[in-house]
Amino acid sequence: MLRTPGCLLAVAVRTAAAAGLWTAITVGLCTAAAAADTVRVGVLAYQGSERAARDFEPTLDHLNATIPGVRFTMVPLDLPGVVMAAADRSVDFIITNPGSYVTLEARFAATRIATLEAGPLGTPTAAIGSTIIRRADTPAIAALKDLRGRTVAVVSTEAFGGFQIAWREMQEAGVRPFADLRDLRAVGFPMEGVVDAVRSGTADAGILRACLLEELEQQGRVAPGEFAVVAARPHIDMPCRVSSRLYPDWPFARLPHTPRDLARRVAAALLLMPPAAGKSWTAPLDYTPVHELFRTLRIGPYPRTAPSLEELARDHWQWLAVAAAAAVWWVVHAARVEVLVRRRTRELEHQIAERERAEATARRLQRERDQLSRLGIVGEMASTIAHELNQPLGAITNFANGMNRILESGQPDMAMLRHGVQAVTQQAERATAIIRRTRGFVRRRDARRSVIDVNVAVIEALTLFGAPETPSAVRIHTEFAIGLPSVRADRIEVQQVLLNLVQNAIDATREVGGGAISVRTDTVDGMVRVAVCDCGPGIDAAAASRLFEPFYTTKPDGLGLGLSICRTIVERHGGRIVATGNPQGGLTVAFTLPPAEETGPEETNDLEEVR
Amino acid sequence: MEEAPLVLVVDDDEGMRTSVAFLLASVGIACETCASAEDLLRSPRLRPPLRPGCILLDVRMPGMSGIELLRHLKQRGCKRPVIMITGHGDVPLAVSALKAGAEDFIEKPFKDQELLDAINAAIRRSRSILEHSAEREAVEARLARLSRREREVLALVLDGKQNKEIAAALAISIKTVEGHRQMAMEKMGARSLAELVRMMVTPAAAPH
Repeated sequence: MLRTPGCLLAVAVRTAAAAGLWTAITVGLCTAAAAADTVRVGVLAYQGSERAARDFEPTLDHLNATIPGVRFTMVPLDLPGVVMAAADRSVDFIITNPGSYVTLEARFAATRIATLEAGPLGTPTAAIGSTIIRRADTPAIAALKDLRGRTVAVVSTEAFGGFQIAWREMQEAGVRPFADLRDLRAVGFPMEGVVDAVRSGTADAGILRACLLEELEQQGRVAPGEFAVVAARPHIDMPCRVSSRLYPDWPFARLPHTPRDLARRVAAALLLMPPAAGKSWTAPLDYTPVHELFRTLRIGPYPRTAPSLEELARDHWQWLAVAAAAAVWWVVHAARVEVLVRRRTRELEHQIAERERAEATARRLQRERDQLSRLGIVGEMASTIAHELNQPLGAITNFANGMNRILESGQPDMAMLRHGVQAVTQQAERATAIIRRTRGFVRRRDARRSVIDVNVAVIEALTLFGAPETPSAVRIHTEFAIGLPSVRADRIEVQQVLLNLVQNAIDATREVGGGAISVRTDTVDGMVRVAVCDCGPGIDAAAASRLFEPFYTTKPDGLGLGLSICRTIVERHGGRIVATGNPQGGLTVAFTLPPAEETGPEETNDLEEVR
Repeated sequence: MEEAPLVLVVDDDEGMRTSVAFLLASVGIACETCASAEDLLRSPRLRPPLRPGCILLDVRMPGMSGIELLRHLKQRGCKRPVIMITGHGDVPLAVSALKAGAEDFIEKPFKDQELLDAINAAIRRSRSILEHSAEREAVEARLARLSRREREVLALVLDGKQNKEIAAALAISIKTVEGHRQMAMEKMGARSLAELVRMMVTPAAAPH
């Protein structure tokens, strides 16, 4: 897509460069011709310099003969060369066609000093016109409008009589030569080529300067009646068949830099010149009709002031093509970008979906891990329960065996037996209590979060689970904050954490021979905090930092899982658990829980349910 | 009449230690209980006069653990046999207990006869240790009464040297050697050389 405008652009640049080069060569020639005492006369050599020399050599000879001290030199020029020569003043006079002259007049203030008089054919005021010919055997082309869709041969689209004059007539007849013809074929000089094209049928019609047809017929190169003239119109004083209005003949013009005196002498000489080769010079005529023509066609000195879109399209089709190509390219590019964006979006959506799936999987695995760690908790609990149950069961066995021996001794000590029976009952009750307080953990392993009152959960944990285990040397103080926000949590898990901390505190306190443990609730930074403080030996900073690592333990027989599991539980609830040494010795382990969002009472009757 | 044995039961679990005490009492073995290692170390029963008996120690206790307590007792030169009670019967714990000088170990839950057998064996061992210990103390007391020269002569006699060799070695007369030898035998209460040798060797071979 990108290549097309680039190619067009390259072609355009190449064309411009070629034109510039051509112009430079022409100007170079002109400059070389301009010598010191010579007067340079530029001549439009539209049919080659030879023909130009033949046409105007007599005029220059006359001038050279009439005006002494000055050597008039002819400088053959093409149409652009005429303009360039006028622009850089490389010529002093110019003989050119009316169209070219009008341009020079408008752009360089050239002034006509004489008009050509071409002899028997026509008059100087109505000398130049266009003749549109067709083959006699193609009567379908009767009027100018019939040229629509036809191939028309011209010598050049720059030619005045050979095209521009006919152009005006065609345009007024509603046929735009550049748009409505099948082909506007420029065959190049000599103009007889146009006749040949029409004769051979490669063109349906041809445009000739007026009177060329008659000239050719006189020369016998065209058979009379071989060609018909399209839209021929009669003209007084014009013996030739013409399809157009008539315009004044070629002017002899001076340029502004040419000395006025020289110009006057040249003008006088021209008017006095006898006819030579059928050409003479007469008084300068009015070229207004030519101006009109050019104004109508918007060419020459009258470039389009407000060109219509149509004209724009016609005249700038290359650029429009570039623009159109660019627009098409842009549209395609935009479409492609759109497609790419959509594709990328789809890919991204796909990726996002995949990531979400991965995250969902990760969450599921996390839940499974949590489940496993819960099983780990249960496993450790089972081990703890087994040990704890072993104590009363072992004691019961010992008491029972002892009583059995007492009974077998023959002389049973009744006081001892009574003591034994009481002890057995006591131990059995103890075993029952252990089972009862572990049932809550075992019964429900699935996390069930509800809005709970932390104070209630703590009281419940301490009264139902903690009390029977607390040795006499250890006292538990409680401080409950009033108006504590509720938390959304799994009550059993929170109680597990609390009991774990209390058990640790009891162990630590017993190490130093007893003391007080405080269990406190409050709020810190909007979080609900439960702190368990003991007056035990405490731990050093290094140990404190490792306290919550799995398998780290300060207890000889500890597994090192209790606090690790506590941390897992607390963090899963969105809280934190920290251990800090007390200034007066001992350790405080505190955990926080985020307050529940206001979702209304959901399950607040915790005490009922655990029982 | 043999002195009555005394068993010291150390267990943090009250039910456990009272029930063991009850079981021992049912077979007439006197018993004292301690709730922790620290309790035991404060007990006057660890100081003389020592009664025959043993220490029953639970490995799993808060504070000073059973193993630590065992090591501590051995460091203090306590010769009383120690029976460890292991809660989970794990082998490494039993091995370390034996390495630390435990007399025996019993896995919970235990049969009452198993415990009683172990305790009776430990008590017998304790009596033997105490007897050896008493004998050795007597010998050491007699040795302490010997003069320096008498001890030198006695050491050479126990090495199997003749009086003549001893005299040469100590650069004294044979007559003087005979005098020191006679005096040392009397002080040690040995009627013959063989009796002296047995007296001097046995205590050294006796276990701690």
